[in-house]
Amino acid sequence: MKKIKFQKSLPFVFLSPFLILFGLFYIAPLVYGFYLSLFHRYGLRPATFVGLKNYVQVFNDANFWFSILNMTKFFLIQGSIMIGLALIFALYIDNEKNHFRGLFRMIYYIPFAIPTAISGILWGFMYSKSLSPFQSIFGLVGLHPNFLSSGSLFWSIINIVTWEWAGYNMIILYSGLQSIPRELYEAAHIDGAKSFDIIKYVKIPLIVPSLILSIVFTVIGTFQIFNEPYVLGSMTFIPPSFTPNLYIYTTAFSYGNFNYAAALAIILALVTFAGSMVFMRFAGFKEE
Amino acid sequence: MKKYVISLLVISMLLLSLAAFADTVQLPTYNGPAVTLTFWSWVPGISNSIAAFEKAYPNIKINYVNVGANFTEYNKLLTALSAGSGAPDVAQIEYQVLPTFISYGGLVDLTKYGINKYESLFVPWTWNQVKSGNGVYAVPQDTGPLALAYNKAIFAKYDLTVPTTWEEFEKDAQKLYQESNGTVYMTNFNAIGASNVNWLVGLIWAAGGQLWTSNGNNWVQTINSPIAKKVVSYWGNMVNKGYISSYEPFTSDWYNAMSNGKIASMISAAWLPLLLANNLSNQYAGQWQIVPLPYFAGEKSTSGNWGGSTDAVTVQSKYPEASMIFALWLNANPTSTTLDNENGGLFPAAITGLEDPTMHNTSTNTDKFFGGQDVNQAFFDASDIVNVNFAWAPWANYFFNSFANYMNEALSGKMTWDQAMDQLQSSTLNYAQTQGFNVK
Repeated sequence: MKKIKFQKSLPFVFLSPFLILFGLFYIAPLVYGFYLSLFHRYGLRPATFVGLKNYVQVFNDANFWFSILNMTKFFLIQGSIMIGLALIFALYIDNEKNHFRGLFRMIYYIPFAIPTAISGILWGFMYSKSLSPFQSIFGLVGLHPNFLSSGSLFWSIINIVTWEWAGYNMIILYSGLQSIPRELYEAAHIDGAKSFDIIKYVKIPLIVPSLILSIVFTVIGTFQIFNEPYVLGSMTFIPPSFTPNLYIYTTAFSYGNFNYAAALAIILALVTFAGSMVFMRFAGFKEE
Repeated sequence: MKKYVISLLVISMLLLSLAAFADTVQLPTYNGPAVTLTFWSWVPGISNSIAAFEKAYPNIKINYVNVGANFTEYNKLLTALSAGSGAPDVAQIEYQVLPTFISYGGLVDLTKYGINKYESLFVPWTWNQVKSGNGVYAVPQDTGPLALAYNKAIFAKYDLTVPTTWEEFEKDAQKLYQESNGTVYMTNFNAIGASNVNWLVGLIWAAGGQLWTSNGNNWVQTINSPIAKKVVSYWGNMVNKGYISSYEPFTSDWYNAMSNGKIASMISAAWLPLLLANNLSNQYAGQWQIVPLPYFAGEKSTSGNWGGSTDAVTVQSKYPEASMIFALWLNANPTSTTLDNENGGLFPAAITGLEDPTMHNTSTNTDKFFGGQDVNQAFFDASDIVNVNFAWAPWANYFFNSFANYMNEALSGKMTWDQAMDQLQSSTLNYAQTQGFNVK
């Protein structure tokens, strides 16, 4: 009798290193964040309980919904470009006939190894009016683009994020490709399929799970963009409502409205969760 | 016998010093136990005056930390105050956000420690800015009266006359634009980014505009007043016409444009010349000059203020009295203000600091960069004509972000400059009301 009980609790003993950290650094802040969001506090005065009033304010907050919409647009444009590039890179390095596969794999992956804040600074210099090497290149054809003007900022950040994350998604897709049994290619080849047909009818259908994973990561990542606009903010003006996290940061740490920021963060988590779920349903992904 | 000699010496020294300072207020002495105070500030080279302070007050040690300039510091300070720990004893806070920190309840009312005795040491309008009701919440550090810095070489090359009114300034700008084919700008539109829009507020201030007035707890906000709109449209139109550039201030692009002669003049606060002398290349060293700020024709010559700071004692300080003594000495002792002027370009808020003869020593690097001009004298003149009734609201942190946002919208052509000011008024009003302020 005793033995069975022990066996039942045994998995939890082995899981405990994870469970304790997960509870402390994930569940507890989430619960505390929700608790905070139920109060209103001005400066150092005592907090007052306001129930769901902060949430009502969130739904009427045009800045917040603008940032969500902005990132939805960002996801549709940047996500397509990045996943497309990642797929091309992955197909290239997966094909044994191609040269320098190892080298390219490393080159594409390196940007991911650079912290996003550093990438932001690096690209900030590349975008600067007086320091950028691109200015002299574009100057040759008589163009003097301002990469940091409010019109081009959105696209400049798309470029940075794509540069950073294409390699990461490439690795996800590449590992999907690597797990495809090579016999399938031979069989397709015997059936008369050209390399493009193999890509279209064998490779891509078989890495759909990896593609879905990539896209879900991209949805989550997009709604959490913060470092790049924050770092570029020292070189040009970036409205706080550019991304949801930037807006939450400004609300909490510039305006000192921690309770309202907590409510914003909870709603952002729900929006991200809903976005990923909707996509997964849409992609026909079913839990086994 | 020896004892008597020493006490005689001490007495005679005391009498001498009393005689020397007979007409001024003496800075307080410190008789308490040895303490260490934490001090947050971003003034370049302020460790020199801190060292001088520690020498004068051996029982007070200062742990100086530079946690970043203006909003970078305020975000940290606000967070530490809200968290209940981690805030310094003394923090540098600019005038415009002081009411915000006061209304949050983060600063100590120094009247409890007798600060009112020292009011006469400071320029009167700065004292108004650190007061709230009957309380005094900070010691004024420096101010930023506005004047015009211009590059003589560029003015000579394009045959421009030094403007005394904004109308002449615009004519010069137009001429410069035409003669240089738009390659040289008259000046830069500096109201880009939350920490820089204060430049434009300074110009509204100089034109006699007020953004807020209060009567007790009742506020009136007039961000879109006719004066404010006139000033903003004046600058906006020059940007739209391409007469002036719009680099973000204090970036390498901004400094480079001045270094390379792409910008002919700069609206300058008193603390800016040192930054220009230190950061511009030597191509135009000696060519820069300071003249009074232009004004709108038909008005009188006035000035506004851009930046300038105070040192405030936070409620987390365990030694508020020692902290106040430190803040007072740092900002009112002539040795300290002179060091801060030389190293940090600070234009003192203390009268003794302003009157100190070393302020007129024209052999400094800054004065050399300005062709040997007595730069500080130029800003004394500006300081004398600063409008004194300007006040800030306690929701300035929101205002600055929002102001930067609407200026950006207007710059990118999404709305007119007048529309930007109207929307700024309504969005800021809305924010202040949701924060519980009684404002219309």
